[in-house]
Amino acid sequence: MYSFIPWLLQLLFIPAFAPLCIGLTRKIKAKFQNRQGASIWQPYLDLWKLFHKDEIISEDASWVFRFAPYLVFGVTLAIGASLPLLSTLTRLPTGDFLGIVYLIALGTFFLALSGVDTGGGFGGFGGSREMLVSSLTEGGLILSLFTLALIAKSTNLFSISAVMLAVPSFAIIPAVLAFISFCISMLAESSRYPFDNPATHLELTMIHEAMILEYSGKRLALMEWAAANKYLIFISLAVNLFYPAGLATTLGLGSLLIAFGALTIKVAVLCAGVATLESSIAKLRIFRLPDLLFTSFIISLIAISIIA
Amino acid sequence: MGSTSQFLFILEALVFLPIVLIHLTKKNTNAVWLYLIQSAAVSSLLLISSFDKISFLLLVSLGSTILVKIFVAPWFFFRLIKRHHLKFSASTQLNTPITLFVIAAILYLNQTVLSGAFATFSSSDPNLLLISSAGIFISLFILINRRGVLSQMLGILSLENCIVTFAIFAGLEQNPGLQFGIIFDILIWIIIANVFASMIYNHFGSLDVTEMKKLTE
Amino acid sequence: MLSFLNSSGVILIILSLFSIGAVGALILQKNNNLANWWGNGFAIIGSLVSGLFAANILASSQTLAYKISTSFPGLGLSFNIDRLSAFFILIISLITFVCSVYALGYVKHYYRKYNIGTLGFFYNTFIAGLLLVVMASNALFFLIAWEIMSLTSYFLVVYENINEQNVKAGTLYFIMTHVGTAFIILAFFLLYNTTGSLEFEAMKNGASALSPLLKNIIFVCALIGFGTKAGIIPLHIWLPSAHPAAPSHVSAIMSGVMIKTGIYMFIRMFFDILPNAPLWWGICILIVGSVSSLLGVLYALAEHDLKKLLAYHSIENIGIILLGLGSSLVFLSAGLKTFAMIGLIAALFHTLNHAIFKALLFLGAGSIISQTHTRNIEEYGGLIKLMPATALFFLVGSMAISALPPLNGFFSEWLTFQSLFSGATSFGTLTKLVFVLSAGALAFTGGLAAACFVKAFGVTFLARPRSDEAKHAKESDLSLQIGMGVLAALTLVIGVSAGNVSNMLSGVAGSVHGLAGSEIINIANSNTVHVNNEFAVLSMPALLAILLAALLITYILVKILSGKQKITVGRTWDCGTDLTPRMEITATGFSRSIITVFKNVLKPTRQNEIEYDDANLRYFPKSNSIHLELHDVYQSFFYKPLKNLLIKISDQMRKIQSGNMNAYILYIFIALMGLLLIVAK
Repeated sequence: MYSFIPWLLQLLFIPAFAPLCIGLTRKIKAKFQNRQGASIWQPYLDLWKLFHKDEIISEDASWVFRFAPYLVFGVTLAIGASLPLLSTLTRLPTGDFLGIVYLIALGTFFLALSGVDTGGGFGGFGGSREMLVSSLTEGGLILSLFTLALIAKSTNLFSISAVMLAVPSFAIIPAVLAFISFCISMLAESSRYPFDNPATHLELTMIHEAMILEYSGKRLALMEWAAANKYLIFISLAVNLFYPAGLATTLGLGSLLIAFGALTIKVAVLCAGVATLESSIAKLRIFRLPDLLFTSFIISLIAISIIA
Repeated sequence: MGSTSQFLFILEALVFLPIVLIHLTKKNTNAVWLYLIQSAAVSSLLLISSFDKISFLLLVSLGSTILVKIFVAPWFFFRLIKRHHLKFSASTQLNTPITLFVIAAILYLNQTVLSGAFATFSSSDPNLLLISSAGIFISLFILINRRGVLSQMLGILSLENCIVTFAIFAGLEQNPGLQFGIIFDILIWIIIANVFASMIYNHFGSLDVTEMKKLTE
Repeated sequence: MLSFLNSSGVILIILSLFSIGAVGALILQKNNNLANWWGNGFAIIGSLVSGLFAANILASSQTLAYKISTSFPGLGLSFNIDRLSAFFILIISLITFVCSVYALGYVKHYYRKYNIGTLGFFYNTFIAGLLLVVMASNALFFLIAWEIMSLTSYFLVVYENINEQNVKAGTLYFIMTHVGTAFIILAFFLLYNTTGSLEFEAMKNGASALSPLLKNIIFVCALIGFGTKAGIIPLHIWLPSAHPAAPSHVSAIMSGVMIKTGIYMFIRMFFDILPNAPLWWGICILIVGSVSSLLGVLYALAEHDLKKLLAYHSIENIGIILLGLGSSLVFLSAGLKTFAMIGLIAALFHTLNHAIFKALLFLGAGSIISQTHTRNIEEYGGLIKLMPATALFFLVGSMAISALPPLNGFFSEWLTFQSLFSGATSFGTLTKLVFVLSAGALAFTGGLAAACFVKAFGVTFLARPRSDEAKHAKESDLSLQIGMGVLAALTLVIGVSAGNVSNMLSGVAGSVHGLAGSEIINIANSNTVHVNNEFAVLSMPALLAILLAALLITYILVKILSGKQKITVGRTWDCGTDLTPRMEITATGFSRSIITVFKNVLKPTRQNEIEYDDANLRYFPKSNSIHLELHDVYQSFFYKPLKNLLIKISDQMRKIQSGNMNAYILYIFIALMGLLLIVAK
């Protein structure tokens, strides 16, 4: 049985390292732009600062606005605790990929509502755009993970990782296609290029930032932190499902340390990939996004068709 | 055996995925690079499949295949692109999602119709055969879907690659003479196609087949 | 007491309770209050008794058959309450019970405007009709019950007859439902022709003699006939106008329960009566389900009439139920009974869930409408501060219908997904493509439903009020709150105890004729659900626990990390202009982008009107209005051509009516000769 302490450690894993991930991506992007860039530890300092600032809450906002940051952050914690991060052994009954996808949807639902709640123009449109993107992402996301489920003959993320450790040869092409599809969904869900610019506050283009525009203080910190968590969740899903090399299959300190090292390297590589992508492409017009998302959906369809 | 089969699948992935990506890419240069990757994979497959019955003639044929597929053909294309500034050939008959949807439909049909037929080929994994036959159809679809002559040529070449792959997996006998014939054919074909493309370009100022309606006049 | 519930006399008691309620309300119509209490009171008692009765049958897993013979040929008032019937009776009783409690308070706003007595009469008869539909086991008796249900619901739809629109909606409903009934009669007639009996049990035994062609014709007739009631696309056109027209507690019953009688008869016909379903039936239902679910949610997005929006979501959810049902039928034809069980359980589970959260949402809508007197979402806003309880319950309903964990909607959608996934794993041909595409449709449907309910909840309850009516809204009566609260609690309870409920449902699914012989599997083990040999495992209590734990940890984390910071209440950033309600996002604006993405499907028509103060200076428009509407494709491409064809045929037929006496005598003569020939043969 899964004991409580490792579970708690896994729960805190994602929030502990997510800001670092954001910092790393920013640093690499800065290098691409010929800037020095802030230290990769900067996001931690930002969060610390925000947690100690006073808050302003809109007089129009209701309890939904006050409660949403806790839920949005809590959902990312719950997901983080259900992922195969270091080992494939613990098959949690919540580690079903559909459960994860719909937990993400739960967070998005409240995020969008909190945007609408303040009654400003920005929040409303941010919510509208977010729901556009996230609703169309769901198809590609579910089918790309289903491709893996078909290969692994299980929809449990831990079982998928375990099977993908020794990837069966017929699964290579489908897995590559599903990975492309998953990456598109990942960029959409974690509000990165070409879907959203995480560094902009330009009213015409922002999606995620528009929704959290009215937040300040500790609630803003929670929202920012939750966004970072989501980013790391998707990255670790991408690396540990499609290329789970290094994942511990036995519970020992040594193998867990190896798994930790492997995860760090893989996550850093993918962060670098995302940063490179963000530095080399432009943000798409919002009405070009559905094309990309449908593309992701159909690539998964192709992947599934190849699995005999 | 397990690792060789895995290796075969990786190579097959390198043959198959470029075709899908050629459908997606918006740049001619990218398409040529993808073709290059595909050709390299096909050449390696040829190499592996002829390991056990090595002969001088075969080596020569292999060498010339590699020469034509990896060096000559891409070089010709790059030259053509450079000379005529053919940067973009994004124009397709169908938009991206629908293109992909057609590909998906082709794949499902391929799996449905052919999986039974290939079960009788005992030589290798039916999955490999299925994927290479799917590659043939999807390459054909490049010819249908793309408007630019250049991507159509790439379609023909990748079609040829897929046929070769299919032949390898199906265990059809490798005849060096035959191989020579094919290679020579391709070489001539590329040169002629290049000359023609240049002529057409100079004449019409475009390589978009839909713009050549005036030909009938 | 329990043994009493087993006896067939209970059926009569239930029916007489509703009759007393109906007639009594009519007699007491002079006194609004008394009529209200009488009508709804008996509905409450009646549904309570029928609920206990159904629960008892489900628990004891037995079949109750009861027959009253009549002198009319073919018509036997035969009741046969197996577990499938009992399950539907349970849903009906549950929803009508809650709606009747709700109605005690809700009906008050009709006082002195409409006749409360007639409402009580039709309401009670309607519920009795619903119950009879799922109890009846004789085709003729069934049709009578079906007619009672349809007619009474028609009268309830046109109840608010001051509004011209409602009467029109009622007429459309009346026509469509009778077109459907015609097909149902045809289906039963064909069955009778072969089996020689109108009793369902006899049909079941004789149906194996049907020729494949006849079976297919019956399938199509039943699909159209019952599909009209269920509201599948393109037979849905009556639904979005009829459901909103009725009083809200009736809308809740219509959307939550009445359209499910269509589903009930699908199961009864395709799983119970007709044996050996061919593959294409299931495929056909899967396609119908995918189309209905996707288009249903897309139309809902474009809607800004709150109740119409909910009605379109009923179409969507019927589609989801059909996805489970269709996959089950495909498995059945392939002989994979274990998978077929999962599909049917998913369909039944979603039927139950949809009944609960859709009723909840309609009751919530009713609570809002009783305060604001409009169904237009654009005129709400900020209601969460004025009607906190309604807002909370509506939020729970929205989350459930958007399939968000840990509520019940998530679980049934999860199970439907698993059923579709099983299809994709076990078939290798184009059938697989249908399954995968259906799974894709379901995925998009889930996402779009969430988008739609962010819109519905956000625009209705959040931000600032947009009209005076919304500004002066007050929290509704206690009875309304109780009604909604019970349903909201149920979404959570059923969601968390999903494992036990699905065990119960596997008993129901195993009792149908088509699945008989397959052992009844307990898919849940101590509330952890296992599907398809460990293909998928899910524990809803664990999901709830992990969410609660995560929330708790978040709270602790915030306490640790942040000190005692001040919270100031300020204004929303207004870019330097006055902050008016017009700066909030509207429902039209919210869904505009999604409509634009799907413009090829939805065919929006848009009119943009701008007036300028000064024609030469076009920077400062005086007014700027946008009118976004959807083109009704079904009217113009399906129903209009059909109508034209009918008119053309009628025109031809009119030529027979020459008005000449001699011609009529000739017709009679020909008819006579024809009859003689047939008899002679």
